[in-house]
Amino acid sequence: MQDLRQLKRNSTVNYLKRYWTLYLLLALPVAFIIIFRYFPMAYILSAFKINNILHPPWELPWAKNNGFEWFIKAFNNRDFLYALRNTITLNLLDLLLGFPAPILLALLLNELTFKRFKRITQTIVYLPHFLSWIIISGLAVRLLAQHEGLVNIVLQRMGLNPIPFLNTPGTWIASYVSLGIWKEAGWNTIIYLAAITAINPELYEAAAVDGASRLRRIWHVTLPGLRPTIIVLLIMSLGRILGSEFDRPFALSNRLVTSVSNVISIFVYEYGLKGMQFSLSNAVGLFQSVIGVFFLIGANSLAKRYGERGIW
Amino acid sequence: MKRTLVLLLLVTMLLGNGLLAAFAQTPELVDGKFTTTREITVEIFDRANEGGSKPEDNFYTDYIKKGMLEKYNVAVTYVPVPRWTEVDALNNLLAAGDAPDVCVTYSYPTIQTYAEMGGVTDLAPYLSEHKDLLPNLWELLGDQNIYWDLDPEKGTLWAIEAKLFVNKRINTFVREDWLKKLNIAEPKTLEEFEAMLVAFRDNAETLLGADKDKLIPYSTSYDVSWRNDHLITSFVPEGLTEKEAYVRGFDDRRMLFPNYKEGVRVLNKWYNDNLVWKDFPVHGAGDNAEDNLMKAGYVGAFTHNWDYPYRNGEDSIHANLQRAFGPEAGYIAVEPFPNDEGIYRKFLAAPIDRKVFFPATNDEPLASLLYLDFISTMENRRFLQIGEEGVTHEVQENGAIKTLAVQGEKIMNSLNNIDYTITINGLDTGDAEKNVLSIALGYASVEPRYIERAFELSSKDARYGKNYSVGLIQAEVGMNTSLPNKRDTFLTQSVVAPVDQFDQVYDSGMDDYLSSGGQAIIDERQAAYEKYYE
Repeated sequence: MQDLRQLKRNSTVNYLKRYWTLYLLLALPVAFIIIFRYFPMAYILSAFKINNILHPPWELPWAKNNGFEWFIKAFNNRDFLYALRNTITLNLLDLLLGFPAPILLALLLNELTFKRFKRITQTIVYLPHFLSWIIISGLAVRLLAQHEGLVNIVLQRMGLNPIPFLNTPGTWIASYVSLGIWKEAGWNTIIYLAAITAINPELYEAAAVDGASRLRRIWHVTLPGLRPTIIVLLIMSLGRILGSEFDRPFALSNRLVTSVSNVISIFVYEYGLKGMQFSLSNAVGLFQSVIGVFFLIGANSLAKRYGERGIW
Repeated sequence: MKRTLVLLLLVTMLLGNGLLAAFAQTPELVDGKFTTTREITVEIFDRANEGGSKPEDNFYTDYIKKGMLEKYNVAVTYVPVPRWTEVDALNNLLAAGDAPDVCVTYSYPTIQTYAEMGGVTDLAPYLSEHKDLLPNLWELLGDQNIYWDLDPEKGTLWAIEAKLFVNKRINTFVREDWLKKLNIAEPKTLEEFEAMLVAFRDNAETLLGADKDKLIPYSTSYDVSWRNDHLITSFVPEGLTEKEAYVRGFDDRRMLFPNYKEGVRVLNKWYNDNLVWKDFPVHGAGDNAEDNLMKAGYVGAFTHNWDYPYRNGEDSIHANLQRAFGPEAGYIAVEPFPNDEGIYRKFLAAPIDRKVFFPATNDEPLASLLYLDFISTMENRRFLQIGEEGVTHEVQENGAIKTLAVQGEKIMNSLNNIDYTITINGLDTGDAEKNVLSIALGYASVEPRYIERAFELSSKDARYGKNYSVGLIQAEVGMNTSLPNKRDTFLTQSVVAPVDQFDQVYDSGMDDYLSSGGQAIIDERQAAYEKYYE
């Protein structure tokens, strides 16, 4: 027994002796996460305290209603409920239409045999990722405005009716989602293309020998090979279902469509930051995160139930 | 015995401490000058102008620093804060406890919020104690501006209001050359103004030739209540009482005033008659598309800041028009919207401007107050506003001051160094008549007659905002962005709605505004007014 323990200790010591540099390398990011991600979490407490950012929250008295004043305030605010609805709507549409887009694009890119053309195409589809939403919103207004937008001018010259891309809630949502796909689909193919290169080429050869057509090969070899990657990314995007970007809806929005474009981050900006109700913003943020974690855990366990690996 | 001794010791210690503290607090002013050098930090707006000087270290800061050191033995250090995000930057500084000793902002709610958190110095006791040391501050601002924000119950004062010396707001502009071309007289009524817009629309070919499709008779932006204020508020009855003006005055664009809706209805009709810029709703803040349309000469009329077409020197709308269409071209201010009693009433702000406050971290309140007195002194603020004769200004025969553009170390980063004269906004040469003449001269390459007209009309028949000291209106807390956004949203939607849906869109928007906090503010203001003023 003694020997066994000794042996175990020896192996641990040996292991550390061998790999301590790797652990040292890890120390920095871990310290970063502890200092910048975990310590600040103490300030979550301010969601339950009176609105005061000049003192640490643990020194402050509790907010009204047993500390739940800000949560009650948020849920009693119609704008918050609209923002919640809009966040879920836009994120679900993004998930439904935006999530498959890079997979499709990656499959298409992968099938390109002419290497140079493939590379040029890849570069072009990556580019929009590097534009900020402010620039894209400027482009969108110039291109898509109902009367003076370039696209509508062309449509009118062709004898068609102009389309109010940005002026009505329905068309605005369509523009919002499409612009999102245009901007990010290319960039998001990177991870799928990387996963595709990891697929054993023998599988393709075997399939080809068996007489599988190209589409069959995509369906039976490439897609199954991508499945773990797809599942992991899907779980992670489900975790963000209540999360909301700020710059994208804020920049693309205009006064005619606020009924669908005001999302949670804009609510936080208007009431919390501009209105200086910091505890309110914290309460809303905490709510978003808790729901996000539930979705993450739910999606993960669902994935596991259906025989996938999940993310932990 | 022992107990008495201990008690005695304790008492002497306390007394000693108290005395010591009192002694430390006694400013060592001898003949109006500190015996030891005091150090204060002062916030300064940073506009990051191209070719500008460092806002915290230049010819003018040197003037103040030198003066403060010689006169009071106070060393001044400036802390630059970006002008266009000043509230956010100030928020960060205050939250971190790093705010300068003398802070300045346009946002009173910010000061109020930090005051509630215990982050702002109450100025009332210092002002009453040192009033005799601050004659220049008092002379410039008077009790009115100094005690503007005094809480009627607690007697606390969180900020001093700077003086809005030149109180101008907006004007309605039309293309003077188009009026001449079409032989239309300057519009004096709403009907005439509308007829003029129709004439612009119907004579597009005469006015713009091949570009006729681009003509926009009247342009506006999503900021409907600012950009159409003269038109809309002309529908507010002249008989509006002071009480009503206060109670319904939370919205600084007077959107809650009675009959406002009827003014918006006119815009809605115009929009549907193709008289208003069609794409205005999709252009957001900071978008220069509309400016470009004006500069290109497509826009017939608009309402905007009182000197809008004349600003920015060679890149002004006016200069662009003159370059493209000759010396006749240009916008001129007009007065086409009389109210129900035939008066061209303009609703102007109260004579207050930026708010100066000391954060709680300020441990030199007297030195900081002396700083304010220093920059409020006529001689000093005159120097800061116009600089050196022959360098940054020259005196005309009639006594008017002509500002000269200057590069290099003596450049002014803001018009008349407004960022350094934080207790006053607007050129004050010490003589009212010369002020007008001087302001008109301040726009290089624009004929003074345009400026003089705009200057006069902008505040003609004005009704000024008044001060009501009622303390904090709790319902207004946190509403300073969300409610104005709601206002802009439903006004924009009302303007572009089909005529038969106007009422429904406007009313539901107003309902939403009121039920989202607007009504609560009206009710609380009403109660406060009745408590203190009836």
